[in-house]
Amino acid sequence: MEKTNTPKSHSPVGESKPRIDAREKVTGAALYADDIQFGNKLLHARIKRSPYPHARIKKVDLTRARALPGVKAVVSGEDFSGYIGLYLKDRQIFCRERTRYVGDPVAGVAAINPEIAEKALGLIEVEYEVLEPVLNPEFGASPQAPLLHPDLGQYVVASFILPRPGSNISNHFKIRKGDVASAWKKCAAVIERKYRIPHIQHAPLEPHVAIAKVDESGEVTLWDSSQSPFAQRDLIAETLGISQSEMRVIAPLVGGGFGGKAGVSMESLAVAIATKVKGYPVKLLLTREEEFYTAFVRQGLVATFKMGCDKNGRLLAMENTFYWDGGAYTEYGVNITRAAGYSCTGPYEVPNIKADSYCVYTNHPVGGPMRGFGMPEMHAGLEQCIDELALQIGMDAVEFRRRNCLKGGSILPTGGKMHPTGLSECLEKAAEAIDWGKKAPPTAPNKRRGKGLALMWKAPAMPGNAGSSAWIELAEDGMLTLGVGCQDIGQGAFTVAAQMAAAAFGVPYESVRVATPVDTRYSPYEWQTVASRITWSTGNAIINAAHDARQQVLDLVAKAWDETPADLDIVNGMVVSFKSEREIPVKDLAIKGLPKADGKGWMGGPIIGRGNFMPADVTGLDPETGQGEKAVVHYTTGAQAIELEVDLDTGRIDILKGVAAFDVGKAINPDMVKAQMEGGLIQGISSALFECLQLKDGVVQNPSFVDYRIATSADLPKSVQSIIVEVPQDDGPWGARGIGEHSMVPTIPAIANAIYDAIGIRFEGPPFTAEKIYLAMLEAGIVKG
Amino acid sequence: MTTHTHPTLPEFDYIQPKTLAEASQFLAQHPDEARPFLGGTDVFVRMRDGFLTPKFLVDVKNLDGTNDLRFDPQAGLTLGAAVNMNRVIASPDVQEHYPLLAEACRLVASYQLRTRATVVGNICNASPAGDTIGACLALDGVLHVHGTGGLRREPLATFFLGPGKTTLKPGDIVTAVSFPVPPKGCAGAYLKLGRNKLSDLSLVGVTVLGSPDPGLPSRFRFRIVLASVAPVPLVAAQAEAVLAERAVAPESIRQAAQLASEASTPIDDVRASARYRKLMVRNLTEMALTEVWKKLQK
Amino acid sequence: MAFHEIKLTVNGGLEQVRIPSNMTLLRMLRESLALTGTKNGCSAGECGACTVLLNGEPVNSCMVLAVECDGAEVVTVEGLAGDQQLDPVQEAIIHSGGVQCGFCTPGVLISSRALLDRNPDPSEEEISEALVGNLCRCTGYIRIIEGVKEAARIQTARS
Ligand SMILES: Cc1cc2nc3c(=O)[nH]c(=O)nc-3n(C[C@H](O)[C@H](O)[C@H](O)COP(=O)(O)OP(=O)(O)OC[C@H]3O[C@@H](n4cnc5c(N)ncnc54)[C@H](O)[C@@H]3O)c2cc1C
Ligand code: FES
Ligand code: FES
Repeated sequence: MEKTNTPKSHSPVGESKPRIDAREKVTGAALYADDIQFGNKLLHARIKRSPYPHARIKKVDLTRARALPGVKAVVSGEDFSGYIGLYLKDRQIFCRERTRYVGDPVAGVAAINPEIAEKALGLIEVEYEVLEPVLNPEFGASPQAPLLHPDLGQYVVASFILPRPGSNISNHFKIRKGDVASAWKKCAAVIERKYRIPHIQHAPLEPHVAIAKVDESGEVTLWDSSQSPFAQRDLIAETLGISQSEMRVIAPLVGGGFGGKAGVSMESLAVAIATKVKGYPVKLLLTREEEFYTAFVRQGLVATFKMGCDKNGRLLAMENTFYWDGGAYTEYGVNITRAAGYSCTGPYEVPNIKADSYCVYTNHPVGGPMRGFGMPEMHAGLEQCIDELALQIGMDAVEFRRRNCLKGGSILPTGGKMHPTGLSECLEKAAEAIDWGKKAPPTAPNKRRGKGLALMWKAPAMPGNAGSSAWIELAEDGMLTLGVGCQDIGQGAFTVAAQMAAAAFGVPYESVRVATPVDTRYSPYEWQTVASRITWSTGNAIINAAHDARQQVLDLVAKAWDETPADLDIVNGMVVSFKSEREIPVKDLAIKGLPKADGKGWMGGPIIGRGNFMPADVTGLDPETGQGEKAVVHYTTGAQAIELEVDLDTGRIDILKGVAAFDVGKAINPDMVKAQMEGGLIQGISSALFECLQLKDGVVQNPSFVDYRIATSADLPKSVQSIIVEVPQDDGPWGARGIGEHSMVPTIPAIANAIYDAIGIRFEGPPFTAEKIYLAMLEAGIVKG
Repeated sequence: MTTHTHPTLPEFDYIQPKTLAEASQFLAQHPDEARPFLGGTDVFVRMRDGFLTPKFLVDVKNLDGTNDLRFDPQAGLTLGAAVNMNRVIASPDVQEHYPLLAEACRLVASYQLRTRATVVGNICNASPAGDTIGACLALDGVLHVHGTGGLRREPLATFFLGPGKTTLKPGDIVTAVSFPVPPKGCAGAYLKLGRNKLSDLSLVGVTVLGSPDPGLPSRFRFRIVLASVAPVPLVAAQAEAVLAERAVAPESIRQAAQLASEASTPIDDVRASARYRKLMVRNLTEMALTEVWKKLQK
Repeated sequence: MAFHEIKLTVNGGLEQVRIPSNMTLLRMLRESLALTGTKNGCSAGECGACTVLLNGEPVNSCMVLAVECDGAEVVTVEGLAGDQQLDPVQEAIIHSGGVQCGFCTPGVLISSRALLDRNPDPSEEEISEALVGNLCRCTGYIRIIEGVKEAARIQTARS
């Protein structure tokens, strides 16, 4: 395997540098897609959407809408052919024959202002024949269910996704390992549980927005709030039948993504409409309500777990079945199903495994990637079962985890071996921080107090050959400009990128600027800003680019001084020789090179370094057994612990303390790592206590912040502790692994376990609303009716 | 269900009348097309959602006296219609004499919304969930209404007819709400249960105002008003009666709470079930009464 | 639809704009004046991203009609910093790490400024109460609240 050389660390790595974009963000100067000014040629788009979860389109009449003054274009499915999608091309830009969820785009309008566009929507007449919807993934997977994608067999699909044409199952991932059937007999304890995890929404503060323009020659420019400008270039160009280089995506800062702005979703609508009004920029801005029911949602999950252990608490077998409520289109969701499949045991070594993870089409909103990519949903049930199993054999839940959790060299569910991991250390530190095993009295007589803990693991889920690249250019002043194609969605990617470039090249952090906004015409390629892969993958590309530039500098100076490059270094922007103790500022040679020793001419020239990175050793998995050499590049592991109180008068939960401990390999920027742990913890708490996209007959009942509640500044734990564990990743930059998503993975089960500790009740799934808790306490006789 | 909302406020004409008479006349002349507004925090939301489609929005904020907040030791408190909730909360007179009103306002939405939201708007909107209405009822609020026939007074007790429905007629403009001086030695509490700790709409709200009243067998008079559990803000009269007649004690408080719960007729909606709401009316009423009783004994 | 000519002060400068009745203060700032620091997160009073100071008090600018601002004084995030230095709330939130994606930040800063104007030494509880109308999906609020505490200290030190 090709190892990235971790360079000698100059100061910027491992230091909590301030965000590179903080100043522009606090002064209002930071530019987001909706802030770009297009002048008065700008057209405003609105989308006519299906009011039915499942219907056949009988007729679309655009004539009245087209006749409305101020309307420049009205389009529908008839205007476009082809399919789009990341892993499975199952989506049309505008529906042609059928609509498959409430909100499915049927027609689009561009007009000179939003009011007219809105009026035009009212003039579009669509006749539907309402069809029976699929509103439950278990039913959807059954032969009785109406078929939502009869053409599933014809869709283009990635090699590692396994659809079952003729059914609503768009991916079936299996693990068959050891012998589960005979293992149960050896178990001292076995439990079997079923959980339902509801759909939730990313709810970034910035709604999706896309502005598209097609010029006379047919070249397309798309400005949007995007985690995936390059994937959008690729997929949209392909669907429109143009070449990728005729499609340019410019992606300024993103006001929150969490996965919702990955891949392609509403952006293709703006582009499609723009093709009909060449020369005009066309803006599509989702309303908050549209954001809730038409943007990606986190898929619902129905999960059953069966697990057993011997009398010493050794896990012997697991049999897990996941039905993912993939929604109307599962172009992205199919890979969540796969990720959950190959991670199905959680961070434990289990010798006998049977797992089935099904991605099922339903007539619900479109499932997509969300922070954790299936892991929060899966761990929600799994980590409760672990607690229950421990209880059943009379073992402390931390001790149980201690014995079973993955260590370096443990055998993975997919067959290979676990790399070195600090999971055990995370467990110990989280348990210690929460005072595990000690019971504190409630703060008031009408409260019950409890503690809970959960572990997690998560790998970057991506194609084995997802690539990154970077370039580095020096300026006359010795400043270094770093080109990357990754996106800063708030996680701090640009800051960490600058730190790594500075350290790898040999300049202070302040000497690096990042070439933004990401623009597919000028920025180097990046697969997508997803999967918590950026620090690791782009980081490696940055190191390679910095080394390339650095080598050019060192070679030049070595030649000029008649020394060998190995005796030279770049420190704080100065090239220094250990041997001769000579030094020269990088800026003196960055652009104009150096005079030749004999004074006759020059050598060198403008310095520009390039680097790329792509994992080289990820293998496929056997479709029948899920076994293979290396399923993923690595796993980030960690633990969270929660202490909470349940109010007996209302059922309300108060989180007293939240602890997070994650093994990040190496914290390039410790404060920003902690900020991810905090933000993820609160988002996790929010998802555990409040969040649920309430679906009734396929219709989202709460598509606004009024009724889709998220945590506010008044809902915080009284104390939060974040612990960084660092067991280096051998191929990570300075040993780093990702942390963006992991921080919300174990929160739901940690809270569920703490609730159980407090009141002895378990629930089928979150959110653990005051109402749900109170009514359950009533049933259990803890409170009186 | 409001999945389809307007991206912007739909079109309308903004009207700013110079006098109350002009405003009433305009509103009366366009009964279905014109709407008065103060902070607009209800009106704008309902226009975006498509529930309201007024052709004219009539700004009644800067009309005679609507910006006044006055307290008189004899006459009591007058809140002009345009006085926003933050002003109510910050007013030393309100804090001293009507702390219950300040407490209720403080639990509405967020600080920045309360810069716009008004108590009178909250009342006129006539949502069963209106957080300040309970306090206004318990404090015997009276509306000052300007109609085409001039000024009149309208007690709050008979003002609410149903969700969003009041006794106001086209042309009527509420210019103020006034409150008599509260009974001597009174104490109040507003308990609001939302999904989040703050800023949510109330799933259940319980207002309690207690005061010594030697004329009653229990020697104390309690007002109990419930939010979000009936088509209109609900005065729990039977519960009040129990506490007027029986000695105030944990036992009678519990009984009153039970009666309040029985009087409530909540519905199931996306926020909570009727069953939970009923139970919470009981628990919150008991808590609020206990809290107020403690204050009264001090 | 009726149009209106209004005059107002925005960040200290006099502005004269012609706007239709249905234009909100938020849209006027972003579209007519190209002051795009103020963000649109919901257009419905729920998220606080659009918070600005109107005559010294914070409002959801999506819940105010532009025409109502005739003669008013408006301060947006672009108007917080002085010529020479950042406002203490800006300086402190950078330092505390309370900025991630930054979309909530303009509104958070305005609400924080308003809080410190009315209460120069707020408790942690007062800070979280003052910010409940400013949703943040990234930071978990912890570092925002720390930032406001620090801003109070900076402000006291500066004065
Ligand atoms: C995000 C958000 C959160 C909210 N949270 C809460 C909450 O927690 N608790 C709560 O109680 N409310 C809440 N509300 C609702 C609203 O803010 C309050 O009801 C507020 O008090 C309304 O006051 P206003 O001045 O804005 O009313 P407006 O919207 O101006 O008017 C309200 C109604 O009264 C009518 N009206 C206005 N003025 C007059 C008048 N002078 N005479 C006759 N009729 C008149 C209007 O036509 C309209 O029907 C919330 C609203 C939003 C947008
Ligand atoms: S945009 Fe105004 S509150 Fe959300
Ligand atoms: S920093 Fe992203 S919403 Fe607050």
